[in-house]
Amino acid sequence: MMDEKAREEVRAALVEAIGEGKVMWRPADLAPYTKDTYRIRFEDDFKFFPDFVVLPETTADVQGIVRIASARKIPLIPKGGGSSRTGMLVPIHGGIVVDTIKMTKVLEVSIPNLYVTCQPGITLKELDEKLKERGVSLNQEQGSLKIATVGGSISTSGFSRKHQKYGAISDRVMSLEVVLADGRVLRTGPKVLYTSTGYRLSQLFIGAEGTLGIITEATLRVEPIPEAKDAVLAFYEDFWAANEAAQKTMGSGVTFTGGEAFGVESAEEYGGPREKKAIFYLGLEGTRGEVEAELAFVTELVKATGGVLAPNDAARKFMERYTIQWCGARVATGFEDPLTTYVPMERIAEFYDKLYNEIMPKYDTGPLPGEKYSLDFGRYRMAAGRYFIPKGEQGWEKYQMMLREIAQLATGLGGSISSCHGVGIEHRDNLELEYSEVALDAMRSIKEAFDPDNIMNPGKKLPEKKRA
Amino acid sequence: MYFLQVALCSRPRTVKYRSFNHSDGLTCVVDPKMDPEIEEMVRIAESCALCRCGCCKDECPMYAELLEETISPKGRNQVIRAVVKGVVEPDGRVARIAYSCLLCRRDEMSCAAALKNADATEAFRRYLADSGVPPLPEHALLLKSIENYGNPWQESRAARKRWAKGPSDRRIVRGKTETLFYVGCTFALDRTLQETPRALSRLMERAGVDFGCLLEEELCCGSTVKRIGQSRLYDKLRAENEKALLGTGAKRLVTACAGCFKTLTQDYPGISKKIKVQHSTELLADLVSEGKLKFGRTSLKVTYHDPCHLGRHTGVYDPPRAILRSIPGLKLIEMKNSRELSRCCGGGAGVKTAYPEVAAKAALARLREAEKTGADIVVTSCPFCVQTLKAAAVQSGSRMDIVELSVFLDGLPGPDGKVVK
Repeated sequence: MMDEKAREEVRAALVEAIGEGKVMWRPADLAPYTKDTYRIRFEDDFKFFPDFVVLPETTADVQGIVRIASARKIPLIPKGGGSSRTGMLVPIHGGIVVDTIKMTKVLEVSIPNLYVTCQPGITLKELDEKLKERGVSLNQEQGSLKIATVGGSISTSGFSRKHQKYGAISDRVMSLEVVLADGRVLRTGPKVLYTSTGYRLSQLFIGAEGTLGIITEATLRVEPIPEAKDAVLAFYEDFWAANEAAQKTMGSGVTFTGGEAFGVESAEEYGGPREKKAIFYLGLEGTRGEVEAELAFVTELVKATGGVLAPNDAARKFMERYTIQWCGARVATGFEDPLTTYVPMERIAEFYDKLYNEIMPKYDTGPLPGEKYSLDFGRYRMAAGRYFIPKGEQGWEKYQMMLREIAQLATGLGGSISSCHGVGIEHRDNLELEYSEVALDAMRSIKEAFDPDNIMNPGKKLPEKKRA
Repeated sequence: MYFLQVALCSRPRTVKYRSFNHSDGLTCVVDPKMDPEIEEMVRIAESCALCRCGCCKDECPMYAELLEETISPKGRNQVIRAVVKGVVEPDGRVARIAYSCLLCRRDEMSCAAALKNADATEAFRRYLADSGVPPLPEHALLLKSIENYGNPWQESRAARKRWAKGPSDRRIVRGKTETLFYVGCTFALDRTLQETPRALSRLMERAGVDFGCLLEEELCCGSTVKRIGQSRLYDKLRAENEKALLGTGAKRLVTACAGCFKTLTQDYPGISKKIKVQHSTELLADLVSEGKLKFGRTSLKVTYHDPCHLGRHTGVYDPPRAILRSIPGLKLIEMKNSRELSRCCGGGAGVKTAYPEVAAKAALARLREAEKTGADIVVTSCPFCVQTLKAAAVQSGSRMDIVELSVFLDGLPGPDGKVVK
C-alpha cells in the first residue's frame, strides 16, 4: 500500500491522464473491490483495499493508467464483471483496479467474415442481444453471462453450455488488442480464426487472469442464428444411469450444443417422477431437418438407456429456465464452493468415490443436497459438484487442506484442477500438482517477458518458484 | 465468531452483531435490541456478501446508466457492511451511493435468493439520516417544502384544491361519505397531471360511487420522505395523516398515486387495518366487472407500463390489464419487460431530484421499449411515471402518447359510442 503523499501524487497523475470522473479513491468507492466471490479467510474481510479504482473508456485511457503504474511499479488488477470465484480480483498487494465495465462499445460486426469486434467491458448477454439484431450469435453461454464481460470471459477461459457444437470462448478468439505492462499496445494478429503464421499470441491471454496485460479489444467468432432449436430432458434412476446415457451420446457422434447429467434429490422438482434421482439434458441447434433427426436419435438413445423423457415443451422451458439461473442461491446454502475439475471419463466413478468417501469425511463435510454429481458432457467434460466448506475452529485452514487433496486426486487421475474458474489465489499453490517444474518455468518466462516488474495482477495464477 | 462495535460520525450509535463466518456457517445474529429495519438491512447485506454474484446488476437501471460497482445493489450492500462495521466513515460519498437507487426492486427478480436490496437501501438511508448525515442538497428543498406546506412542490396548502372545480361538491362529509378519494400531492398540484383526479372523479360519479376528498386539508402521505430515510418527518406526517384520515369515518380510501398507495398500505398499519385502501385501478376494475363502468369500441393500440410501487411493491398487475381488456376493440400489447420484469421509469425514490440526467435516461430506455410494441399510447397509473415518460417522449420527439389510466378511460366513448365527458 502507498503512503499518503505517494497516493496523492498518483491520484493527481491518474486524474490528469484520464479525467477526474474515472478515478475513484474514496473508501466507500473502494469497499466493493476488496473481494470477489472467493472465500477468503473470514478475518480478512475488508483487509485488501485497492489504492484506486479506475474506470477507463478507451484504449488510450488504459495506456495512460498503465504508464503511470509502470513508472511507479504499482500493481494493476484488471477487472471485468467481477464474478471470479478464485480470488483473482482480490487486491492482495493494493494497487489500482482497472475496472473495464465502462468499455462497452461494439466496434464492428462483420457478417461476411462472421466476427464481432468489441471492447472488453460489454457483458456477454448485452453483446449477444446486439448481435441477434444482426442475425448472428456469440454462443458463449456461460452461467454468468448476465454479468460476465468479454474481457473477463477470455481472461478466465469461460465455459459455455454450447461448447460441443460451437466451442467455448477459447475457440472463438480471433484477435486481441492488449495493453502491455509497459504501456505499449499489442495487436495479437489479424482478425482471422485460422492461420499458420506466427505464435498464437491470442491464446496466451486466454485464462491469463490479467497477469500478462489488459485486454482492450477483442475480435470473436460469431455464428448465424440457426433455423431450429430443440432440447431433450430426461430423468434417470441415479447419476450413474444418466452418466451412461451421456457417455453413449458422446460415443454416438450425434451433434448437440452441449449437455449435462446431474444428480438431484428428486426429479419431481423438474417435473419428473419422484423416485428418479438424476437429470439428463442436451440442446440441439441447426437446420430444421438436422434438429428433427437429432431429436429422434437422442430420444431413442434415452429410451434404450432406461431414461424417462419429459414432454418436449417441458424440455424447452427447462433450457430457458436453466440459462437464467446461475449463482445457485449461495445465500441460501451458505459457505460452499464448487468443483470444476476435469477428469478422464473412465475415471469419474473413482474420482467421486474418493472425493466423497475418503477426502470430505476427513474434514467433516460433504456435498450440498442434490449437488453431489454433475457432468458437463460434449467436447469439454467437466466433473462438477458443490460442497460445504469445513466449519469449526481452523475451518478455513481445513478448507485449504481439502482443496489440496482434491487437486491431488484430480491431477493424479490425469485431469485438471479447474476447468473454468481459473486459478486466482484459490488454486495457485496447487498448480505444481498439475504442471511440471519445467512447464511452470516456461510459464514464468512468459510472464517475465510480458511483465518484467510483476505489476500485472501480482500474486495470482502462478505459484512462486520454490527455492532449492 | 466476534461482535462488532459500530460508532458513527456526529451522533454516535453503537450496534452489535455477529456476522456470518466460517465457524458456524449460516448464522447471522443481530443484537435483539436493534431496530428491526436496521436488523433486516444488516441481514440482507451480510447475505449478499455470502454470494456476491452480481446478478442484481442485470437490468438495474441505475447501474446501466452509471456503470459503477458501488451503484449496483451488490456494491451498495458492501458499502452498507463497510459502514456498519466501521471500516468506512459515512461521509458525503456514502450518502450519494445510498441515494443512487430507485428502490424499484427489479434486482430482486434477478437475485436467486430474492434479497430485498431495496429495503436494505431504504433502511440504510434512515440509518445515515438518524446518525446525523445531512440529506443531499437536492433533497433539502423538497423536505423543507413538505415540512412547511405539506407537499413537496412548494405550493401553498390552499393550492391543493385547485384541481377540483366546484370543490364543495367533492368535500368529504365526515361520518357519511363512504369512500375517501386521497388525491396525493403530485396529482393535486402538478398542473399537467390534474386531469387525473378530475377524470377519476367523473368515472366514480358515472359508476355511482359515494366519494369525497379532503381538498386543502389533505397532507402529503410522506412516501418520498420515507424513501429518503427522513424518519422523524415521516413519523410526524404519518401521525397527522392517521388522525385526519381515520377522522373522516370513511370505510374505503382510494388513491390514484402508486406511491401513496404503497405507503398507505404498507407503511401505515394504523390505516390499512381499519380502512380498505384501494388503488384506483383496483376500484375501476371492480366497477368494470360489476358492470357499472362500460366503454365503447375503440381501435387504439396501447401498452401498459407497470409502476414499480404498484407492481413489484404491492403486486397490482392484473386490475389495470383487466380494465383495458374489457374495452371492445382495444389492443393491449405487452412490452418485452412487463409485470414483475417491468423496467423502472427512473422517477422513484428521490433519484429524479438527485440525478435528473440518469432518471431521464432510464425513462428514455423504457420509452424505447414501449415504442417497439408498435402501440400508440403508453397507459400507466402513477404520476411520476407519467411525468418522466412524458418528458422523455417530448425530449426524444417520440410519437407515443403517455396517458394516465383514469384519463385514458375518461376520454373513451361510452357504450353508445358517444363521448361521455
